[in-house]
Amino acid sequence: MGRLVTRDSVAISGSLIGLASLLIGWLTLKPSRIAAGTSLNLFESIGWVGGLTVLGLWLACLILSLTGKKERSAVTLGILANLIVIASFLLVGLFSGKLLEGEAQIARVSLGAGVWITLAGAYVVIFSARQTLRGSTIWRNVVSWAGLAVLVFLLIEGWFQDISIMTEFSGREERFLQELMQHIFLFGGSVAVGTLLGISLGIWATRSRRAEAPIFFTTNITQTIPSLALFGLLIAPLSALSFAFPVLREFGIRGVGVAPAVIALVIYSLLPIVRNTYVGLRQLDPAVIDAGRGMGMSRAQIFRKIEVPLAAPLVLEGVRTASVQSVGLAAIAALIGAGGLGWFIFQGLGQAAADLILLGAIPVIVLALLVDAIMRTIVRVATPKGLGKGNQ
Amino acid sequence: MIRLVKVSKSYGDTIAVRQLSLVVNQGEVCVLIGPSGCGKTTTLRMVNRLIEPTAGRIFINGKEISRVKPEQLRRSIGYAIQSVGLFPHMTVADNIAVVPELLHWAKSRVAHRIDELLRLVGLDPLEYASKYPNQLSGGEAQRIGVARALAANPPILLMDEPFGAVDPLTREKLQAQFLRIQQELKKTVLLVTHDLDEAIRLADRIAIMASGRLVQHATPEEILSRPTNKFVHDFVGTDRALKRLSRIGVASFIRPTHSVKLSTPMKEVASVCERCHWVWVVDDDGKFTGWLDRTSLPAANSVRQAMVVGDRDEITITKNATLREALSRMLGQGFNSIPVVDEEGRLIGEVSLGDVEAATAKMEP
Repeated sequence: MGRLVTRDSVAISGSLIGLASLLIGWLTLKPSRIAAGTSLNLFESIGWVGGLTVLGLWLACLILSLTGKKERSAVTLGILANLIVIASFLLVGLFSGKLLEGEAQIARVSLGAGVWITLAGAYVVIFSARQTLRGSTIWRNVVSWAGLAVLVFLLIEGWFQDISIMTEFSGREERFLQELMQHIFLFGGSVAVGTLLGISLGIWATRSRRAEAPIFFTTNITQTIPSLALFGLLIAPLSALSFAFPVLREFGIRGVGVAPAVIALVIYSLLPIVRNTYVGLRQLDPAVIDAGRGMGMSRAQIFRKIEVPLAAPLVLEGVRTASVQSVGLAAIAALIGAGGLGWFIFQGLGQAAADLILLGAIPVIVLALLVDAIMRTIVRVATPKGLGKGNQ
Repeated sequence: MIRLVKVSKSYGDTIAVRQLSLVVNQGEVCVLIGPSGCGKTTTLRMVNRLIEPTAGRIFINGKEISRVKPEQLRRSIGYAIQSVGLFPHMTVADNIAVVPELLHWAKSRVAHRIDELLRLVGLDPLEYASKYPNQLSGGEAQRIGVARALAANPPILLMDEPFGAVDPLTREKLQAQFLRIQQELKKTVLLVTHDLDEAIRLADRIAIMASGRLVQHATPEEILSRPTNKFVHDFVGTDRALKRLSRIGVASFIRPTHSVKLSTPMKEVASVCERCHWVWVVDDDGKFTGWLDRTSLPAANSVRQAMVVGDRDEITITKNATLREALSRMLGQGFNSIPVVDEEGRLIGEVSLGDVEAATAKMEP
């Protein structure tokens, strides 16, 4: 059978993004951590040999993606894109040290837009290769994770120690770990409480017509309150409460700190979970429930054996939405003294130190992607066979 | 045996069922029928306490059902519905196993029962046991629905339009299968339908309902020949005679017929054809293959050349068919007789239009 040769437009776009990234600054040399720096182009940043290597790799990517979408070329494309990721960061780490030689002690080198855009372009290509490589699991995993694994290894080995963001990190290792744990505790705890509360409210909404409207009215309204405002709004009532009942303070309930942050995050995580629980239970075919009842299943058996397994995928999908959203929102909680990775962001904003902001922001993004991947796996595992499209 | 005594059900001011008394005898198929909103489904659902009656009493084998726990009662009654309601996250085997498992049957007994039931409804256990409902056709799903209702071998079966959601051809097959299974198992069945043809085909007795009341409860023959009032008369319609034909099997009307084989020499064919205008043609195994018109003989030098090839499924009927099917084939093909074949397709005789007319004439007005 002849195979249709379709151009791989996703990989082409990725390659073009990558090539474009070579035209803008790769590294920025700054006299101090808060001073405005000078942007260095590709060749100034990583030298002629390094620059031409990256350029060559990207051109190879473009040519390969123009020749069509085949299983074999997808493997090559994926490997090329991973090589670009690895080479770029190896070179950037190497040359950041060289650029600082002969500069003042307080001078800094930080990553320019070019590096990030090359990274983005490379992952667009990798994404496209992944799609084509549906059949072979081994190659798909190699292509997806190889570059990332090397980056993590380089990071741990201190390869990037001369780059400003790592300079910000060094000396703050303990603080970083502490705020990271605090962040995980903030969103994890809130989502856990939100899940229990949300599922209960969702079930209640399906069982009682009287409760349905107020539950959705409240969860919908709270979702529209800007997060910053909600954090702020909670300060007053909680302070009043802790003054009225001093015993509460012993449990850490005060106007500022963890208590209002967790409450706000719980409130935000409610809507997706309540909504998905409600829809998950309501979408069930009434005939299925009727058949269960007619065959002599008790109310509890119908809930456990029919409703729970059939609604689980949607409910967990709601928990996934809530989790990813909470990872981001928890960053704002630092503003009311709850700590977390947001602490670095607000410190950086206060000092106008962009790299300190990144030290908070990048881990938040990584954490969100990680949580998303984990939750997706959980949803997949929890989806009963036999749901979804029939596969003969 | 199911016995309803002056059962009523009202929702606020609306009365769904009024003072209904009805007996379904052991091993009998009773079909509840009537226009939509007549209370037939409500009546059915009161028998397994999915709906509680407002007044009256219901007995199953002499025991009043209000004294039995609803779950326990339902586990002893088979239940099949139009939308089937198979559990989508369970395999066919697990779906069938629901009630046996609720009754704590041993695993090996359940497994054995699943095999037995799949075979009973004509599905290969090896192929179907591990399938999920979304891999089944509508007809297959309804068969599984019936198998699931029969799982714990309940003496009583409640069926709410069990063959409703499939195409007419599949429905006819499912009905034939139901009759075969019922002949074997002799369950006490209460079945709801709005399809009069289905009722006439399946019922030992039909209970016609209108606005919550039982209007007539009698055998199909009686309902067709002696409608109790204008409502039943209109409900049954003006094609009563035609409908009655579907209660009469062709078996006693089959008469011997002339046929030639594909290999019969032309000379012999000519002698057979002297006595009639056409003859059926069979192959060397006696299986129906077509027919031969006398006028086409002179031009041909073999049976194969002269014959008209006929589709066995479209032209022939089996000896289990009804006179109505025979008549429908005759009209459809423009024949005045129709060949009858056995299970293997071998010609065993024919039924003629004259016989159908005679049978109609003999029916009571």
